[in-house]
Amino acid sequence: MAIRDKLIFIYSLTLIGIMIWIGLILLAPYLQSQSSVLAKFIYTVFAPTCHQISSRCIHAFGYPLAVCARCMGIYAGFFLGTIFYPLIKGFSAPSLPQAKLIILVSVPIAMDAVGNFLGIWMSSNWIRLITGALWGIILPFYFLAGISEYFLRQNKRSISRNLS
Amino acid sequence: MKDQRPGMFVPALIGGATAGVLSGIPFINCLCCLWIIGGGMLAAHFLSKDSPLPPTAGDGAIVGIFAGIIAAIVGFLISLPFSALSEKFVQGMMDRFSKYYEDMPSGFERFFSEGAFETSVAWTLIGLVFSVVIYSALGALGGIIGISLFGKKKVQTERGVVDVSKNTGDRQP
Repeated sequence: MAIRDKLIFIYSLTLIGIMIWIGLILLAPYLQSQSSVLAKFIYTVFAPTCHQISSRCIHAFGYPLAVCARCMGIYAGFFLGTIFYPLIKGFSAPSLPQAKLIILVSVPIAMDAVGNFLGIWMSSNWIRLITGALWGIILPFYFLAGISEYFLRQNKRSISRNLS
Repeated sequence: MKDQRPGMFVPALIGGATAGVLSGIPFINCLCCLWIIGGGMLAAHFLSKDSPLPPTAGDGAIVGIFAGIIAAIVGFLISLPFSALSEKFVQGMMDRFSKYYEDMPSGFERFFSEGAFETSVAWTLIGLVFSVVIYSALGALGGIIGISLFGKKKVQTERGVVDVSKNTGDRQP
């Protein structure tokens, strides 16, 4: 498989993964409203990664989503970032974004989280969603660069082993 | 060159154990997945510190995956006594309320027994298996971010201290 094809393959898997991930989060309240046992399964799957406090969650069909508003924002941002990734980075050699970029997008979510934690202010769920999304949108640029670099390195190693 | 690849166990153990403890304790675990990403970053920091070569983003991903697996197991073990405590608390509440049974609205027992307090071995194990998978992905993300933040190293050579820029893998053998 050519390098470009490999990168497209890794990208496609990531995109499908995050789509399934967000689909499950949105599906949970609907299934709960239908009293389906699958709802409990989805809430259980997401429980270790999120506190799932009902007042901190966006509600649909009368029930909370499977994760809180901030986590939902992060995953929605990750999805958006993955969509934009080929337009910005393309499928050439993977490279990490500059470190200052992650520091910059971390400021709103960090300020909001610290302010809420210390009780200085109480943000609405929509603010949590937006600050989470701002942070999440940059994450695929790191994730895809790191994972692609690892697999390309393995590829190079196996080629050099075959040559020697 | 191959021998110079960094040892990943200790950094992954430190990052994973820290993330697992913080994500397993109630109230502190309000930062959700951010603890796991933070654990991956911590592992990448120690990897970068201990490594003779500047680690690559791929190294960060791998150490992050290991940190995520360790965090899932540690978090699971830490959360066990807390979930047992919360079950005891709910049981105590139900016992107290049952003394005032006639004054309580109908269906109050179902109110407490439904939802988050319902636990079983099967559901707990399902949660553990999925958390290993999810924490691995989040740990990998943290590890990669950690390399972008801490990956720059100064290497001592015969000519003096040289700044080595972040290695994204292009210079790998």
